[in-house]
This record gives sequence, structure tokens and C-alpha cells, in this order.
Amino acid sequence: MKHVDMAQRKDRPTPVKPRETRKRAEKPEAAFDVWLNRGLHQLFDDVAREPIPEDLLRIINEDRGR
Amino acid sequence: MSAANPSFHDQMVDILPKLRVQALALTRNRSAAEDLVQDAICNALSAQNSFIPGTNFAAWMHRILRNRFISNLRKRRETTDIEDVPASSLSTDASHEDRLALKELGSALTRLPTEQREALVMVVVHGMSYEVLAQATGCAVGTAKSRVFRARRQLEAWLMGEQPKSEGIAASKQGGSRPRPSMDRLRAAFGPGEGLTL
Repeated sequence: MKHVDMAQRKDRPTPVKPRETRKRAEKPEAAFDVWLNRGLHQLFDDVAREPIPEDLLRIINEDRGR
Repeated sequence: MSAANPSFHDQMVDILPKLRVQALALTRNRSAAEDLVQDAICNALSAQNSFIPGTNFAAWMHRILRNRFISNLRKRRETTDIEDVPASSLSTDASHEDRLALKELGSALTRLPTEQREALVMVVVHGMSYEVLAQATGCAVGTAKSRVFRARRQLEAWLMGEQPKSEGIAASKQGGSRPRPSMDRLRAAFGPGEGLTL
């Protein structure tokens, strides 16, 4: 039984980093991601809010009538 | 057609703002983006019989736009206009430091590989799921996740002035001209209390 446990333990992947180290590394990345998400919205939200060009709507509506 | 069951054309009108964002993320040029959206709309109208009702219209439509972009790329060299991406937002009421940081971000975005930039924008700006992103871009879900992850980490490496990670971020190997903004600028953009340690 003990032998099986040892074998199972061998199959387990060795953690790349200890838990504490990983926690410390994640904190600034998460902060950057928050800033990045906000920045991307500032860059692209205005584009999404712009009025749709009439040409595009006309193309779609003309096809709708067919 | 009821609002609960919108017609093909209604869905097309509804998705236009997102298509314009995707097109800008791909082309990095406002004029080229407008042309790309129009081309994609024409393609989709021609191919509307191939859309299967009940399947994901957004994924179908984004994929048509993407295919059209790739097709255009084959015909001519990619158009680049770095100033186009952040231009609209730079005129908003953001503070001076915010504007500088945004400009750095806009510039760094243009240096990302196209598929990473597109994936990041579609997930963050559109709130698209990885599953739909995978359908829209014709890749595995794991690949879609990986593209977004690598885009984030590459931008972090560039914008925070860190050395790019060695694990195969291709864009970091494209010469030494990557942006290195002042850390003060980004610190100001984060503002107090955001928990970023610079």
C-alpha cells in the first residue's frame, strides 16, 4: 500500500513555484490587468459608440427588402 | 420578427459597433477599418443562406470579417497607422498623465501580433467568451486563451519596462524599438490605491 502511495506521489507534477511565491507574483500582474482593461475600454469604447455610417445601414436595409 | 427572435438583418445591425472595433483592432487604421466592415457586410449578405439559425451569429459574423481581412492582406501589404488607434480617446477629458499612458498603450498595441491584438480586444472590450472567440477566429479554445494571455504579458513587459519573458513571445524578438514609457507615467495612470508596486 505504501509502495502505491509512493508511485502516485511520483506521478504528481512538481509545482513550479511555491504557493507563497506565486501569490506575490500574481498581485502586480492583476493590478496591471485592471489598468489594461480600463485602458482598452478607453481606447475602443468611443469607436463602438460612434454612429453607424448611413452607407452601411442602407446596404443592410436594401438587402432586407429583397 | 420579434425582439426575442431578431431577424438576420437585425442581428447584423446590432453587431455593427463590435465589427467596427474588431476591424480597427485588425487594421489599426480607421479608413481601412471602415472599408473592411463594409466588405464583410457585403460578404455576409451574399452568404446569408449559409448561416444556420440558432447558431452563434456573432462568431459567424466576426469570422467573415476576419477572413476578409486575411484575404485583403494577401492582396496588399498591411496598412499601418499607429496614431489611429487611440486618437478618439486622446481627446477626452482624461488627465494629461492618463492620455500619455493611453498613447503608450495604443502604440504598444500596434506592435502586438495581429491575432493577439484582436483576441485581447474582443475578450476585454466586447466581453467575448473564449469559446466564441475560438469559433470566430477558427482556433482551439486553448489557443484563444493563450493569445489573450500572451498579449497581456507582452504589453506588461513593454509598458512596465520589464524584460520580455523568454517563453516564446515572438513579438519581443522583433528588434529593440519596443516602447519604454516612463514608470512615473504609468504610476500616475494607475493612481493611488490600485495596488501596483513599481
